[in-house]
Amino acid sequence: MKWTWFHKLGSPPYVYRLARSIGPWLYALAALTIGYGVVAGLFFAPADYQQGDAFRIIYVHAPAAWMSLSAYTTMALAGAVALIWRIKIGHAVAAACAPIGASFTLAALITGSLWGRPMWGTFWAWDPRLTSELILMFLYFGVMSLRQAFDDPARGDRTAAVLAIVGVVNVPIIHYSVQWWNSLHQGATVAKFAKPSMPGSMLWPLLSVLLGFMLFFGAVLCTRLRAEVLNRERQSSWIKEALSSR
Amino acid sequence: MNVSTAGAVQIIIRRELRLSFRRPDQLIQPLMFFLIVTTLFPLALSPQLSVLRDIAPGVLWVGALLSSLLAVEGMFRADADDGTLEQLVLSGHSLTVIVIAKTCAHWLLSGVALVLVAPVMAAALSVPAESFWLIMASLALGTLTLSWLGAIGAALTVGLKRGSVMLSLIVLPLAMPLLIFGASATDRAIHGDSAAGPLYLLGALCLFTSTLAPFAASAALRITME
Amino acid sequence: MTPRRKRLWVVLGILGGVAASVALAVMASRENIMFYFDPTQIADGKAPQHKRFRVGGMVVKGSVQRNPGDLQVRFVLSDFAHEVPVKYSGVLPDLFREGQGVIAHGTLDGGGTFVADEVLAKHDEKYMPPEVAASLKNKRAASTPKPAATPGNPQT
Repeated sequence: MKWTWFHKLGSPPYVYRLARSIGPWLYALAALTIGYGVVAGLFFAPADYQQGDAFRIIYVHAPAAWMSLSAYTTMALAGAVALIWRIKIGHAVAAACAPIGASFTLAALITGSLWGRPMWGTFWAWDPRLTSELILMFLYFGVMSLRQAFDDPARGDRTAAVLAIVGVVNVPIIHYSVQWWNSLHQGATVAKFAKPSMPGSMLWPLLSVLLGFMLFFGAVLCTRLRAEVLNRERQSSWIKEALSSR
Repeated sequence: MNVSTAGAVQIIIRRELRLSFRRPDQLIQPLMFFLIVTTLFPLALSPQLSVLRDIAPGVLWVGALLSSLLAVEGMFRADADDGTLEQLVLSGHSLTVIVIAKTCAHWLLSGVALVLVAPVMAAALSVPAESFWLIMASLALGTLTLSWLGAIGAALTVGLKRGSVMLSLIVLPLAMPLLIFGASATDRAIHGDSAAGPLYLLGALCLFTSTLAPFAASAALRITME
Repeated sequence: MTPRRKRLWVVLGILGGVAASVALAVMASRENIMFYFDPTQIADGKAPQHKRFRVGGMVVKGSVQRNPGDLQVRFVLSDFAHEVPVKYSGVLPDLFREGQGVIAHGTLDGGGTFVADEVLAKHDEKYMPPEVAASLKNKRAASTPKPAATPGNPQT
C-alpha cells in the first residue's frame, strides 16, 4: 500500500498529468522567487566592501553553478533508477534534464568569466574549479549526443544512463576543487554546516534566487518531460485521451 | 568443458595476443599515428630545441591520448560482429571477467608498445635521457587508465556505425584529468624536479579506473549487445 | 566458490581498490602538485629558479610603486612571515590594491625578485557592506595594536 505513489510515478500517463498540473505552479513560484531575489540583489542589497557593485553577478552565477551540479546529479540518479528497476520514465526524466543542466553550466561559465575579468583580471584561468566545470559541460554534450546516436531509442537511453553515472565522479571533484587545490576561485560562501560568510541583506536574495532556479529547473523539467513522454508514448492509446481531456 | 575464471582470463588474453600478432596492422597503425602526430608539433611550432623540450610533455600525452583512442575503437567490434562475444558470454563466465581480460590484453599490446616507442619520440623532442624512465612509468600508468576509459567508451559505442567520433566525445572529457597529471609528471621529470605528486595521482587514477571501469564497461556492453 | 562468497570477494575488491586509490590521492596532496609557492617557501629556497611558477600572498601596505610613464609596477608580497619583491609590467585587475590577496605567475630572477608576467587578484568568499567592513576594522584596531591578526593566507 505504502508504495503505490512510487509505482504511480512509473506510469507515463500519471507522470504526464502530474507534470501538466504542477508545471504552471512551478513557473509562477519561480517567477516570484527569482523576481524578488534579482530585484533585492541588484538594487537593494548593499555593495561589497571590496568588489563594489561587481559582486552582484553572484546572484546569477552561484545559483547557476549550483544547479549545473544538481541537474547532473538528478540526471544520473534518474538514469540509475531507470537502469536498476527498469522504470522507463526515468530515461525520459534523464533526457529532459540534460539540456537544462547544460544550459545552467553554460550560464555559470559565461557569468563566471564576466565576473573574473574585472575582479581577477582574466576572463578564464586554467584553474581546477573552472576546468572541471568545463569538463562537466563536455560530459553533458557527450550524454546528449550518445542518446541521439542510436537508431534504437531504448538503447540510446540506457547507454546515456551508463555514461551519466560514470561521469558522476566529476561532481565531487568540482565541488571540492577549491578546497583540494590552490584555486584562484574563492571558497564556498554558503556551506551546509557553517555560518554563511555574508550578511543577511546580501544572503536572502541569493537564497531566494537559488530556490527560484530550483523551481525553474522543476518547471522546465515538467515541460520537457511532457514533450518527452508524448514523443515516447506516441503509439499509446492514452495519449489521445490525455490530449482531448484538457 | 569447465574452465576456472583465471583460466578463462588466460585463454582470452592468449587469443587476443595471437590474433593481433597474426594481423599486426591493428597494432602498428596506432603507433604510426603516434609517431606522425608527435612529428607534426615540431614542424608546426618551432624546431628550436629549448622550445621542443618545453612542449614535449603536452605533445607526448596528447599523442598517447589520441593514438590510444584509435587503438581502442575496435576493441569489442570485431568480436561483437562475428558473434565471438556472445559465445564468450554463453561460456558462463561473467561479462566483467571477459572485459577485464580483453582490456588487459589490449593494454599489453597497444599500451606497452606505446611506452616502448615513447623514448624515441622524447629524444626527438630533445628530452634528456635521464628522464626516460620516469616518462615511461607515467605513460605506463596513463595508458592503462586510458585502456579502461577506452573500454567503457568502446562498449558504449559498439553498435554504432560511425562510432569513432562518438567515442572521442565520450572518452576525451573523462581523460582530461589524466592528461593534466600525466603532462605535469612528464614536465617535472624533464626539468629534474620531483614528479612524486603527479605520479601518485596517476597511480590513484589508474587504480580507481581499474577497480570500477570493468563494471561500467560490462554494464554498457550488456546494453549494446542485447 | 559459492555465488555468495564470490560476491563478497568482489565487494571487498572494490572497497580495497577505491581505498588504495584514495590513499594514493592523499599522498599526492602532501606534494606540491600545482607549482604554487608562498613567500616563506621562496625564502627557504624551495622554489625553482628560472622556471615559471605561481606565488600567492598579500600586497604589503605602502609597497606599491608605479612608474608614471609606463605600466611598470613594483610591489612586495607577504604571507605575514616572509616577503617577496615582485616586478610586473601590464594592466592590473580592479581588485588589485594594497592589502589584497593576489596570485602572480612568473619566474624568480637571480636577485630574489619575482618577475611576474601575469597578476591575478584573488578575492575570498566573504562579502559585506563597506560600513560593516569599516566597523570591523575599527574594532580590530581597538583590540589588537597590530593588524597582523587578519586572516593571513589568501589561499584559505
